[in-house]
Amino acid sequence: MKILLKLLIISLPISFLFMFFVLLNEDKQIPGADYREFDLPIFNLEDLDSKRVIKNTDIKGASIINIWASWCITCQIEHPYLMSLNKRGIPVIGINYKDERDDAINWLSKFGNPYQLIIHDNKGSLALDMGVTGAPETFLVNNGKIVAHYQGEINASIWNKVFAPIIEEQGLFK
Amino acid sequence: MIVEISHFLAIISTALFFLAGLFALTIKNTFYTTNLISKTFSHAFLFFSASFFIYIYLAITDDFSVQYIANHSNSALPIFYKISSIWSAHEGSMFLWIFFLALWGFIFNIFIKNTEILKPKTIGIISLVIVGFLLFLLITSNPFVTILPIAPVNGADINPVLQDPALAIHPPTLYLGYVGFVIPFACSMAFLINNDASVKWESLVRKWSVMAWIFLTIGITLGSWWAYYELGWGGYWFWDPVENVALMPWLAATAFLHSLSVSIKSSHLRTWTILLSISVFSLSLFGAFIVRSGIIDSVHSFANDPQRGLYLLAFISAIILISLSLFISRFSLTRNHRSIKTLSKESFISINNIFFVTLIFSIMLGVTYPLIYEYFYDQKISVGAPFYNAIFIPIVILASIFLFFSIESKWSRSLDLKIFINPIFISLFLSFVATLIVFINLEKINIFVLLSIFTGLLIIFRYLIEIWSSFVYKKYLNPFSAIAHFALGLLLVSISLNSLLSSERALNIKINEYEEYKDLNIYFRDLNLVKGPNYDSVKANFVVEDQNGKSFNLYPEKRRYSRRGQITTETAIYITPFRDIYLTIGDQLEDGSWIVNIQINFLIRWIWFSAFLMAFAGVVLISSKRKV
Repeated sequence: MKILLKLLIISLPISFLFMFFVLLNEDKQIPGADYREFDLPIFNLEDLDSKRVIKNTDIKGASIINIWASWCITCQIEHPYLMSLNKRGIPVIGINYKDERDDAINWLSKFGNPYQLIIHDNKGSLALDMGVTGAPETFLVNNGKIVAHYQGEINASIWNKVFAPIIEEQGLFK
Repeated sequence: MIVEISHFLAIISTALFFLAGLFALTIKNTFYTTNLISKTFSHAFLFFSASFFIYIYLAITDDFSVQYIANHSNSALPIFYKISSIWSAHEGSMFLWIFFLALWGFIFNIFIKNTEILKPKTIGIISLVIVGFLLFLLITSNPFVTILPIAPVNGADINPVLQDPALAIHPPTLYLGYVGFVIPFACSMAFLINNDASVKWESLVRKWSVMAWIFLTIGITLGSWWAYYELGWGGYWFWDPVENVALMPWLAATAFLHSLSVSIKSSHLRTWTILLSISVFSLSLFGAFIVRSGIIDSVHSFANDPQRGLYLLAFISAIILISLSLFISRFSLTRNHRSIKTLSKESFISINNIFFVTLIFSIMLGVTYPLIYEYFYDQKISVGAPFYNAIFIPIVILASIFLFFSIESKWSRSLDLKIFINPIFISLFLSFVATLIVFINLEKINIFVLLSIFTGLLIIFRYLIEIWSSFVYKKYLNPFSAIAHFALGLLLVSISLNSLLSSERALNIKINEYEEYKDLNIYFRDLNLVKGPNYDSVKANFVVEDQNGKSFNLYPEKRRYSRRGQITTETAIYITPFRDIYLTIGDQLEDGSWIVNIQINFLIRWIWFSAFLMAFAGVVLISSKRKV
């Protein structure tokens, strides 16, 4: 049999398999993370507790924005991590998403409040403008600009993979 | 702890399978060693199936000290779903995969006599493949891990979209198909090792391969059907990467069966047959790799773990490289010095092989190209339906035209190609008229769709004539081939008409309002909150009236499952022989109206019916008394 054909038969799958070894070892993008930058949408909503009006211009400097709701089970799971962020002095702003005011306040008194400020978005209009698909989701905002977005439960490993590199790069929270 | 017994039995069986493989491939095979190998394999299977059934028992009795069961089952589930929760995630489904692999080997071991010259080596190769997977299970994805000392009171529940009868059956059927191709693969390898061209391995594996092909066909069809009504995807095929990795082995298997029949009849195409037997099995394993390595994101992908991916890839590489080297070193075995006659049945089937391989390569390209592109350019692209349609439609049309003419062809004899012989002429005429009727009655025209309708009809009419003459003139007809190809024609026509006629629209509709779509009058009667056993649901009631004044109720739902907080859409489908009316309910808008998606899907049932008919053709072949 022609040596060329033999070589072809064996080298074709080898190259395919090699390709997969390379692809497999590549650092994959973390599913759920998104780094497209966009401006914080213009909004005019009430504070959860005091019903004071909060505008987009009230969010200054660098902070974390967390979408949560009292009906959201995963929010309970990530809650301790948000508390720890708060302890480290990182400002966390909550957007209470499609929730009843009383339920949300009860929830916070039960589990603790990691948020500096809570925007009551009971229709989900602000969340819609921010591209939220469900709770929980977490954003990193710097001077009125969203710079990182993660869909799903946030924890130490996600923080280190998704947010820490950007925080490092832009020198935030110093 | 009962789970430890199950774990221990699995380890013992690994050692026994390894012994069977070692004996078979190192000791010179005599009647006695064959007996020994066969017995060792059976005992290994006995231990392994004991392990598997103990595991099922643990799932039924809600043993939540087993981590996997605690994570994927729940005491409130009906017993049926407690069992199917085993294959709802990676570890358990791998367990099932290996059980089926061993089961095929075991049945082969029982049915094939010890005097069969290829038997010991075949059993040996199957054993080694099992050992490879068992090590994968025990090392990287152990389902026997326990949560001790304190077991949870209840389990985390099975994923709600998996709580469906079709889905409980879909993975096992598909797995039975995938791993069933271990038999032709192992047999062809045994043939190469045995190094004797006169041994007919092809006739040995014919029925086994058809059986695996039936399972694969049914498994894929069930998946397509399930995605339609449960996931609310509203179609039958989406060129999702995981659908593609299931389609590749199916295409390879179909080509393999064709090529196999030639090799059995006339010892031609043996090279093709062996290469295809390797391809089918490697592509099945490749599917497992794609799904379980986390290299792509899809509804089907399991939790991402690079170590698993690496192991599987290394294992697949070993299998492919060893089998191909073996093939190359024994190439002379497969040579046939007589050449194939032009326009004989053999020649048509070898052309068919080329068509199928082209399709497989195109899918492979479509699956891998986005990965390569992302690697080099750091950008996500998606290869979707337009790419596959552009490649599949012309090739399938061309292949069908070849099929149409091949019906006339004979084994080892050239075909006298006369267009004006009756059956060809009649079917050409009938198809032309039928396509013309379709053409005149439709507003939308697409030349490719019309062409596929035409070729589909050609095949249908041609086989109808064949079936007629087999009844009236007692002309010989291969029922397997006739049913399978008739189903292909039906599939082509249904798919084409479906793409031509089906339509959908999103409606904004308030309660107590009417809306019109095509010939349908839709009335939103009511909306209720319903409490299910483990979910809360918003259930809408629509009254739909068609132009004949016939009205029916549809109840689409949105459910939130309490345990996982997951939201699922339950579709409401009204089925008639020729079309489905398909409703899903979306979000409520600010003004109180609801987004409701309505689809009219024509002939979609016929698509699945055609696929099942193909599988039925396989059943006909298996139950036939014919030797090959």
